Amino acid sequence: MFVEFGYGVLLVSFLVAIYSIFAAIYGATNKSASMVESARRAMLLTFPLLSLSAAALVYLLVNNHFEVSFVYEVTSRSMPTYLKVTAWWGGQAGSLLFWSWLLSAFASAVTIRKWDRDIEFLPWVIVICSTTLVFFVGMVAFYENPFTRFWLVGGNVEPHLFAPLNATLFTADDGNGLNPLLRHPGMVIHPPMLYLGFVSYVIPYAFAMAALITGRTDDRWIRLTRRWSLWAWLFLSFGLVLGGRWAYDVLGWGGYWGWDPVEIAAFMPWLTGTAFLHSVMIQEKRGLLKHWNMILVILTYALVIFGTFLTRSGVLSSVHAFANSPIGPLFMGFVSISLIVSIALVIWRWPDLRGETEMKSMLSREALFLLNNLLFMSVLVVCFWGVIFPLISELFTGQKVTVGPPFYERATAPLFAALMFLMGVAPLSAWGHSTLQTLGRSMWKSAVAAVVVTGILFVTYTKNIIALVGFFLIALVIFVTLQEFWRAARARQRAQKENFLTSLSRLMGRNRRRYGGYIIHISMMLMAIGILGIELFQTSTQGSLAKDEQLNISGYTLQYKELASWDDRGEGVNYTRAVVDVYKDGEYIGELNPRIDYYFDSQQNMTIPGNRSTLNDDLYVLLVDWQPVSNAGATFKVYVNPLVNWLWIGSLAFMVGIIFAAWPDRDPAEEPARSGVARSSKQTSAAD
Amino acid sequence: MTEETTNIKRGVPVWAQVTIWTFLVGLLALVGFGLNRARNPMAEIGEPVPDFDIVYYEGYEYKDKTQMKLSDLQGKVVVINIWASWCKPCEQEAAELEEAWQFYKDADDVVFIGVDYVDTPAGANEYLTKFNITFPNAPDLQSTISSILNRQMGVPETYIIDREGVLRHVKIGPFVSVDEIKSAIQSIE
Repeated sequence: MFVEFGYGVLLVSFLVAIYSIFAAIYGATNKSASMVESARRAMLLTFPLLSLSAAALVYLLVNNHFEVSFVYEVTSRSMPTYLKVTAWWGGQAGSLLFWSWLLSAFASAVTIRKWDRDIEFLPWVIVICSTTLVFFVGMVAFYENPFTRFWLVGGNVEPHLFAPLNATLFTADDGNGLNPLLRHPGMVIHPPMLYLGFVSYVIPYAFAMAALITGRTDDRWIRLTRRWSLWAWLFLSFGLVLGGRWAYDVLGWGGYWGWDPVEIAAFMPWLTGTAFLHSVMIQEKRGLLKHWNMILVILTYALVIFGTFLTRSGVLSSVHAFANSPIGPLFMGFVSISLIVSIALVIWRWPDLRGETEMKSMLSREALFLLNNLLFMSVLVVCFWGVIFPLISELFTGQKVTVGPPFYERATAPLFAALMFLMGVAPLSAWGHSTLQTLGRSMWKSAVAAVVVTGILFVTYTKNIIALVGFFLIALVIFVTLQEFWRAARARQRAQKENFLTSLSRLMGRNRRRYGGYIIHISMMLMAIGILGIELFQTSTQGSLAKDEQLNISGYTLQYKELASWDDRGEGVNYTRAVVDVYKDGEYIGELNPRIDYYFDSQQNMTIPGNRSTLNDDLYVLLVDWQPVSNAGATFKVYVNPLVNWLWIGSLAFMVGIIFAAWPDRDPAEEPARSGVARSSKQTSAAD
Repeated sequence: MTEETTNIKRGVPVWAQVTIWTFLVGLLALVGFGLNRARNPMAEIGEPVPDFDIVYYEGYEYKDKTQMKLSDLQGKVVVINIWASWCKPCEQEAAELEEAWQFYKDADDVVFIGVDYVDTPAGANEYLTKFNITFPNAPDLQSTISSILNRQMGVPETYIIDREGVLRHVKIGPFVSVDEIKSAIQSIE
């Protein structure tokens, strides 16, 4: 019943979305407001329909309907209910339905807003959103169907949606269970966050395309989607950070980022999205870079779809396992068509997208923002080249060759350093015009302070030149940014006769995007501390220890005490847990319990590190093997990861910064209008 | 100001358009090629594994041969471990695989073959030296082996083929212990 219902509403939503595309095109070309309104309502209807379909799937997941192949693949009886719900996006078919559901939610949210002043955009936004939706729902309905059931046909079990002739329904006793690696809280929310980020970028793209199609190429589309881009960026960033944390906790190699193609596939839209966040400001303030913003938003959208495609088609070699699937060619076709159409539109409208003024100073803020964009694009080129290189090498030499993490690290490190330096300089430059003198005057105090900090670190912490350059840049950015807060708040304090904290909070409230951005800059620097620490100073060792034997690493001493192994039948897990005493410089500081969990249903192991975390470093102990109990020995891998916690602290602050910047303003009238450029209509709020 | 330039409506020059479209078509063709490669049919458990060539890395050989076909190994249990030097989970099982190989190699009934998937020779060499791997290792030339066996396109993956050349066991992800490797092999014997 639930299967038929879930699939039925899925099909209906597919048809409704198709209708909304044609109704919107007809309405726009024949200037029929009622048809556009009909398209809008159809678009709105897809959300409740897909919600019902999703609810049916979740019902099947939660209630152990193992006759459904998707339920069988991703759940098992022993899993707690919340994991059964989140198993929704634990497999290909379900996650595509999840993607579609999110997209319909966002598209609905955007079509609900008041459209009076931008009514010409509406039909085309619907066309773009609905086309993307049709593609995804179509894939779920016809290729990766989560409602397929098992049927017993002539002694064989076969998956079919509806009963074949002479078949009886086959229900397995228990399911495979979710991959234990995915049972981590970070993994429960990491995919939805990435999907949210991916899907949110469809909206700015839809508006950009609407602007190109209608020829209304002023910055209206950017203002309307500014907040969407920020939220999209928030989700994508959060998704990436959670992925890193999950890798650190679960994958058992003491790392957070491995330059794996799938990671890069999610990182690439983040790069273009970050460049976009900066470059839209130039268009808003100075009327420049209109072409560039279009290209960035198209690239971001294409990379979102491309990234989803790469991770699911088996084209790339990756440690992220996704089964081969028939949807590869479909994705390929969709990416190709959307790229070709978008580029054709940009070329067509190229003359209308000219800048309204010119850059006059190479040190003006717009010039530095442009430089920032070029740097982000360079990182993108490095990443893209690395991802695509195995294909190129296979084409020309017959042998797939990868470039590996050292390539990415070497190629991107100077680019990231340059970006950090820009973060230190750009906030001090002025729109329109800056000189070396004006910049130097506002920067020298921070620069001196950064040199002092670097000197102290040189004497007390490290002589590593790369680390010192890194720490200098980090200190520079933090000092410059704090100085900016201080300077502006002091100026306001004097003018308004308020106390300092009131001034600071009002100042920040008045210009959320700028000060949210500064918080993000500082957080990035905190993250950079963690990255420098783990990349440059990580130490590791491995040893097989008999009972009470010791192992030394970086001032820590580990003593193996005991090991216990037991089954938890209810949970379906066998635990093997070691007890290790930890001493620092000879002093006892506690015990760690590295574990191996064996999941009966999926017959997989999960290595859970014992981790002692401080601001200074993480002591990260893995139990990698153990001999039978009579031997009473065990093998441990031990990592000391200096400063790595700053990565997570920075990540949290980063989220706070984005939320601060993206939070809706109470009074939209206060939004700064771009001066000097005639506008046909008054400034209004951005799309909320 | 540059009022005069804003009024001149100039499109994208033809050469730029040609470049853009050529680049785009080339890129899409490249990805299409990769996609086509990725969609080869795979060997299934219980079915014979299609034959393929194995060309060992320099310094590796089996029975004094530096290259052979899979079919040359009929009559032995073949353990094919697909790994890569950039693959962190592979490191978890590297020492265990070598230890298991030491256990089996003298009986001459089980052969281990490492297949290095999408890698650089330098990286592979470093990895093999680091874990002191002695069982025969080969690069996956033209990705033929992985296109037949590597079902998840992830590494590490291990495939055990019985004496008749039939795929009998697939392990996705790293082995955690020598015992696990042994019991997987014993399940075939």
